[in-house]
Amino acid sequence: MSIEIRRVTKQFGDFAALKNIDLTVNTGELVALLGPSGSGKTTLLRIMAGLETPDSGEILFHGENATDRSVRDRHVGFVFQHYALFKHMTVFENVAFGLRVRPRSNRPSNEEIRAKVHSLLQLVQLDRMESNYPSQLSGGQRQRVALARALAVEPKMLLLDEPFGALDAKIRQELRLWLRRLHDELHITSVFVTHDQEEALEVADRIVVMNEGRIEQVGTPEEVYDHPVNPFVYHFLGNVNLFHSRVGEGRVKIGPLEIDAPEHAAAQDTPAVAYVRPHDIEIERHKNGQPAIAALIQHIQSVGPVVRLQLNRQDTGQMIEAELSKERYRELGLKAGEVVFIKPRHWTVYQGEGI
Amino acid sequence: MFAPSGLKIAESVPLNRARTEPAVVRWLLIATALLFLGFFLLTPLIVIFAEALQKGFALYLESFKDPEAWAAIRLTLLTAAIAVPLNLVFGVAAAWAIAKFNFVGKNVLTTLIDLPFAVSPVISGMIFVLLFGMQGWLGPWLQEHEIKIIFAVPGIVLATIFVTFPFVARELIPLMQAQGTEEEEAAIVLGASGWQTFFRITVPNIKWGLLYGVILCNARAMGEFGAVSVVSGHIRGLTNTMPLHVEILYNEYNFVAAFAVASLLALLALVTLAAKRFVEWKSHQPSVGQR
Ligand SMILES: Nc1ncnc2c1ncn2[C@@H]1O[C@H](COP(=O)(O)OP(=O)(O)O)[C@@H](O)[C@H]1O
Ligand SMILES: [Mg+2]
Repeated sequence: MSIEIRRVTKQFGDFAALKNIDLTVNTGELVALLGPSGSGKTTLLRIMAGLETPDSGEILFHGENATDRSVRDRHVGFVFQHYALFKHMTVFENVAFGLRVRPRSNRPSNEEIRAKVHSLLQLVQLDRMESNYPSQLSGGQRQRVALARALAVEPKMLLLDEPFGALDAKIRQELRLWLRRLHDELHITSVFVTHDQEEALEVADRIVVMNEGRIEQVGTPEEVYDHPVNPFVYHFLGNVNLFHSRVGEGRVKIGPLEIDAPEHAAAQDTPAVAYVRPHDIEIERHKNGQPAIAALIQHIQSVGPVVRLQLNRQDTGQMIEAELSKERYRELGLKAGEVVFIKPRHWTVYQGEGI
Repeated sequence: MFAPSGLKIAESVPLNRARTEPAVVRWLLIATALLFLGFFLLTPLIVIFAEALQKGFALYLESFKDPEAWAAIRLTLLTAAIAVPLNLVFGVAAAWAIAKFNFVGKNVLTTLIDLPFAVSPVISGMIFVLLFGMQGWLGPWLQEHEIKIIFAVPGIVLATIFVTFPFVARELIPLMQAQGTEEEEAAIVLGASGWQTFFRITVPNIKWGLLYGVILCNARAMGEFGAVSVVSGHIRGLTNTMPLHVEILYNEYNFVAAFAVASLLALLALVTLAAKRFVEWKSHQPSVGQR
């Protein structure tokens, strides 16, 4: 089922939590709402579920206006940030709840409920935990019970609020790959909230970047990562180096370097900032006769496949982060305290002072 | 029992010694507390039973055969049977509203719930006399329609409800606030109706607090003297509750009967304490199903 959000706004007192949101989630998609804390992600998710009413705007389910549809009639699965498991019920009863509260006319029989719950617990790999209480489970297990409980009512869409937020790094990694596989199996339209850009980039089909109640950009992970539409998105999707300068006639000067910015051809000596990701910083031992910025290696972190360098620009003293592969690092034979020459490989230039 | 184990702790955990008072001080504190408890709580309790039984068990039982004593017991039970369920409903509704919704006047409601605790019970009774008494605001109207509230059972029930209404709500508000609304929301998203959510999710989560509040409410409803005394009119066999009956018997120097009825109230207190202990123990047990 597709979800369409049209011009939705939401105020809490004087505070505008959502400002004119437009968004379409296509059938079968896995979409991430990504943004810093307080950007309105949970509010938007709750509006989709019907747990919160928008002040204005519309919500369409499968093309039908569902703005005034009650929570019960929306048939969504919702996984709460802190799971909200029923603590006085066993795992089995938690998962069975949505079936047991159905009106008698379409309530499955006890045997059907048992079969359904068992198959779901198998799906989330908790079949041996059915008579445990939530307090006896680990965080990751609770998470999966919450998911099985939401799936039990065969929802038309699944909404997950920071599904991995409260878990350890390792379990988080496992569970998000597992969620991706589950989604590929079930193909249920899903929206999940996260403030972790890695999580969004790794799991989602499309990412909705939110900030201060607005949508900044919507796109595939590649689109938002490689072509961020503004400095906020650039910042939020990963580490970045900022080179403050001025742009004129499509050229930007960074120290001894001059880079192209054809999209700003009309600008005349305007303040601008060039954004460069750490892995787009090229490092050479020698100048090779071309202009390059001299930088001192301050610190090397070489654990793992990617080596991270902290450099200090010799001309301005600015700190620069660079990443390179282990092979390249060995090839260059870099050591802390050495001076090297750097230049950006890819960059994006935005006018203004940057953020 | 307490002191030796306390000493043992002080020995086995040397770090704690710095914070542990000298033994003399400790013994003094404990002795003071025990003396105090003994004097103000235990002695009266013993006196009640001793006086009630001083002329033998047969005479003790005889006291309850008096129709007026019976009437007092029945009236007390009736009052509690009306006041406690009503306060249960009111307490749950008020606590629910305060803990789970935001509305105008929430602070006023929260303060009002405590009013009966803040006002002297005698004043509470007076309020009802002022409202419903012969000279009261509604007095003439009530008289016209031949409805009797003051110096009759309805007045006693009303006064008791008023005096006891904070117990359940007070117990539930912090509990419900701590639990938030997430579980209820989860239930509704899963398709549960309002009633299903209330009975399957909310009630199980608050049941021990609820029971605790009901126990305290019941004890007060049966034991209330001041407010009931003002509205009762002390009509023997008709508007005397147990506490009022005790007073009358005592004033008539009928000590055995007075203490016999009092012993029932004392028993109620003991049962209440035991039940309260049990509920506390149950609700704090790190049992499954509780977090
Ligand atoms: N029920 C509420 N009452 C008042 N303010 C709220 C409420 N819910 C959310 N907010 C405010 O709205 C903003 C967005 O909240 P939320 O949607 O939870 O953000 P996110 O999930 O992105 O962290 C926050 O500043 C939060 O304080
Ligand atoms: Mg949130």
